[in-house]
Amino acid sequence: MKEKIDQVREDFLKDSSSVNNSDDLEKIRIKYFSRNGLYANLFEEFKSLPKEEKPKFGKLLNEEKKSAQSKFDELKKSIESQASKNTEYIDLTLPGKDRELGTLHVLTQTLNEIKSIFKGLGFSVYTGPEIESDENNFEMLNFPDDHPARDMQDTYFINDSFLLRTHTSPVQVRLMKNSKPPYRAIMPGRVYRNEAISAKSYCLFHQVEGLVIDTDVTFAELKGTLVYFAKQLFGEDVKYRFRSSFFPFTEPSAEVDIWWQPKGKEGKWLEILGCGMVDPNVLNNLNIDSEKYIGYAFGMGIERMAMLKYGIDDIRLFFDNDNRFLNQFK
Amino acid sequence: MIVSLNWLKEYIDLNGITVEEIVDKLTTSGSEIEEVIDKSEEFKNIVIGKVEEVQKHPNADKLSVCKVNDGQEIFNVVCGAPNVAKGQTVPFAKVGAVIPNGKFEIKKAKIRGEKSEGMICAEDELGLGDDHTGIMVLDNSLKIGEPLASALKFNDVILDIAITPNRADSLSHIVIARDLAALFNRKLKLPNLKTQFEIVNKSESAEVVVENQTGCPRYTAVVVKGIEVKESPEWLKEKLISIGSRPINNIVDVTNFVLHEVGQPLHAFDLDELSGSKIIVKDNGSKNKFITLDSKEREIHSTDLMICDGEKPVAIAGVMGGENSEVTNKTKNILIESAYFNPSSVRKTAKHLGLSTDASYRFERGTDPNGTLKAALRAAELIVEIAGGEIETKVIDIYPEEISKRNVSLRFDRINKILGFKIDNEKVLKILEGLEFSISEHDDKIVRVEIPTFRHDIEREIDLIEEVVRIYGFDGVPPIEKISNTLSKKIDETNFEDELRFRLTALGFNETVSNSLISDEKTMDYSRSIKVLNPQSMEMSRLRTSLIPNVLMNISRNIKVKESDLMFFEIGEVFKSENDQIKSFEDISEHENLIIALTGNKNKKTWYQKEIPFDFYDLVGLTNKSLAKVFANIKVKTQFNLESSELFEYSFSKNLGKEILGEGGKVNRELLKKYEIENNVFLFEINLSALKSFDQKSNRYYSLLKYPKVYRDFGFILDKNISYNEVVKTIKQSSSNLLKNVNLFDIFVSESLGKDKKSLAFKLEYYDESRTLREEEIDKEFWKTIEAVKTNLNAELRG
Repeated sequence: MKEKIDQVREDFLKDSSSVNNSDDLEKIRIKYFSRNGLYANLFEEFKSLPKEEKPKFGKLLNEEKKSAQSKFDELKKSIESQASKNTEYIDLTLPGKDRELGTLHVLTQTLNEIKSIFKGLGFSVYTGPEIESDENNFEMLNFPDDHPARDMQDTYFINDSFLLRTHTSPVQVRLMKNSKPPYRAIMPGRVYRNEAISAKSYCLFHQVEGLVIDTDVTFAELKGTLVYFAKQLFGEDVKYRFRSSFFPFTEPSAEVDIWWQPKGKEGKWLEILGCGMVDPNVLNNLNIDSEKYIGYAFGMGIERMAMLKYGIDDIRLFFDNDNRFLNQFK
Repeated sequence: MIVSLNWLKEYIDLNGITVEEIVDKLTTSGSEIEEVIDKSEEFKNIVIGKVEEVQKHPNADKLSVCKVNDGQEIFNVVCGAPNVAKGQTVPFAKVGAVIPNGKFEIKKAKIRGEKSEGMICAEDELGLGDDHTGIMVLDNSLKIGEPLASALKFNDVILDIAITPNRADSLSHIVIARDLAALFNRKLKLPNLKTQFEIVNKSESAEVVVENQTGCPRYTAVVVKGIEVKESPEWLKEKLISIGSRPINNIVDVTNFVLHEVGQPLHAFDLDELSGSKIIVKDNGSKNKFITLDSKEREIHSTDLMICDGEKPVAIAGVMGGENSEVTNKTKNILIESAYFNPSSVRKTAKHLGLSTDASYRFERGTDPNGTLKAALRAAELIVEIAGGEIETKVIDIYPEEISKRNVSLRFDRINKILGFKIDNEKVLKILEGLEFSISEHDDKIVRVEIPTFRHDIEREIDLIEEVVRIYGFDGVPPIEKISNTLSKKIDETNFEDELRFRLTALGFNETVSNSLISDEKTMDYSRSIKVLNPQSMEMSRLRTSLIPNVLMNISRNIKVKESDLMFFEIGEVFKSENDQIKSFEDISEHENLIIALTGNKNKKTWYQKEIPFDFYDLVGLTNKSLAKVFANIKVKTQFNLESSELFEYSFSKNLGKEILGEGGKVNRELLKKYEIENNVFLFEINLSALKSFDQKSNRYYSLLKYPKVYRDFGFILDKNISYNEVVKTIKQSSSNLLKNVNLFDIFVSESLGKDKKSLAFKLEYYDESRTLREEEIDKEFWKTIEAVKTNLNAELRG
């Protein structure tokens, strides 16, 4: 019996290797798998085997037939697909069937990049309302009433005590009012300035503010953090400088410039953010011990970052939402 | 503020320091230089020339052809000036020069057939005066060929400095010189005063009474008699012109000069015009009009501080003098006012007048109360020098309560603690002294510093630390490479929105970001909207109550540029108030909305598919997909509405109990017309803040199904008005929990099916998580469902 099975297998493999078309295939089907085919014959013979040999050969025979059948099916498939290829029209260079992707606004993309850099440094992310109280937006942040510092930020007022926030710093105030230090957070959001709309300024823009308050932070850490940030965003070889400046809520205060060298044009220093050590007055206003705790804060405009990063020359483009503009940032 | 480098050199030796170094140090120490104008650059290629020969132009009566010598070569120059003559020394612009007035470049040219290789310049063309009657004829002693800039000593560099509001004292040349002295470790040279004087409250020639002492803590007046008002000498005019201030006459020019030298605003009154030779400083008391020396009528409030004479107001204190007492050509005797006015008082007045002057700008930032006398005497001495006359030795000085110098202590280790690195104590002391702070006492731990009164901004230890690091240089701060991070809980309040954004862009939406200030007319919920008190324009006078106006404006704008197939979404704040008066945050409802909008076609026409326009069902499907994760956790019900509203022709809403969370539909034509949109628009807007407040369902793993699913298809003909929802409800009610999904795969509406009939075809999916289903059991269940649909909905099973 064993020899017979081996013989049939050998024949089948030999025959199947020379199949070229469906006619050859049909011949094989009849020879091996039909009612009177070779495998049917083998099963017929199997019936007359002695009882003790039946389990052994039964299993073997079944496996043999199964493997031959699957080999046959494979052959059939390949012959059929060959045939269909010969009739189907094929031009592989036709444009692919694509789907339109949506895209995040370039401001969101820029913010995401900024968020991921700071989240990597262990910063939390907080938000706050756009209508703010004079108290949170100015008073608590050491802008005395009737002080020229208030002129730095042209304000939209709702009434005497409410306004559209001019910076995201009131979120700092909220954080400090609602929880105890230490803090390590960034606060992104929309801010408003009552400025004439032009290519360079809009009535609103988006800011990311940072606040770190702990017992052992220093200006050197602030500088290290912001230098790291600038390198992450603008590249390892970014040229930067820290320039002394003034903000009512920080002291010492500085602005950070990076050297900007557009191709074929004269290079110049461009301001990218403002920063400083949280003014003790702010900490005292919020009942934080300014001897024990030291803080630093920084703030940057997302539009400005995006304009630098992508070479966008008109801030209004961000808010026009021209689809041709949006689609450029896929 | 404009500063002249030449002027600065009067107070500090800047030898050996380049302009670049000055600009860099000033900028990094807080006086940001916004522009550097090199005056000699302006006169590049303009030299002293000699006219060697003048001949009539052969083809033009009014032109001459000249030979001009630049010291090396002779050039042929066509000149139109009537006064050009042989032997003159002239400013000669060579080829390549850019004429300062008009900014045009000199090129080789042929004028009426004659070669011309340069230009002989007139005074106005060089920006040196107004004269255009002819060429400028220079002194014959000037060296031929020398650059004009150095020959005329135009070697100045002008710096435009941005001043931060804390540094009122930066508003003069001496203060910039003081910073430079500290930065470059040089000596500051201040002008010396020679006058011997005696302080009085009242002299023979004048009297000063200060009624409002809070508004005017100090008033100093110096009288100079017998002056002659005339044009200022060249050196003074040059100085003022260099910083862009127009010379007027020798008296006014001196007061302006001293203002820019020391930062103390001065005003010169014609003493003979002051009734009773008296100055009274007091509140205006009533509302009236006053004509300032620019001949403009100004409205004065009762609380404005005024300078009056015996009868009438003569100046708005700290802002501007009056026309009635200004110095004229006839003036013989003057009273120089040098006062210290209260900053906030001046600020209030200047603000309501809408008038910011050199004086008010400085007063409102705080001038030096102890510098008034020196400044007045400095001016008086200069006046005597250039206008003659004599200074009255009795100087009036009303200063009842002296404002004394503050004392501030600085701990050396606090500098280290704040900055994170050590600056040597010696270095710290040197910086403080360089800024004219006097050291009262110090040991190795602490230093006590006396702050001069011109530095209003130095009150606390931290202010001194800032001064130290400002002068030390931020460049010197080492950026540390390790940070401390307290391991407290980290939160990201923007995660929820970011996840939604991710889903929406994956679905093909583009994100928009729009202006939250819109016009009254476009405001949706007008009665509850919030108005901005001081809008820039009527187009931006209210805060949006919905994102719908934004999205429609965006669509309209895009259609105009032929971008008409759009899928937009935006996440943004909307604002409402139930009360007319906003007194607290409770009166404001500000929350975040999400809007999605569809218009035009879903896809472009391509070789494999036709264009398919967006429809209502796209909106419903995309709404459900984008918010699936949020809705999975709360019992949100969808309600459909065929009736049209102002907003929608037909719509659906997402409700939680009775509360409508969001609403969407096909936008009403009438509304679209307002935005000039003709295409269909489908949009859905939802309150995200409300959704955000629910706990988010987190994904959970279920073991994969081990048993086969079984499917059954069927189709029915039924009445057209029976909704899909009703059919599905019937199917589900008649089935056991083995039925897992119902999928509508065909819908056909045709009269051929019978009047008002339609056909629906479904595929039903059955499985059990714990066993293989038997065919017979599903058949039984399936037939039960068929019967239910047939009898309950009067439907006919299709073959």
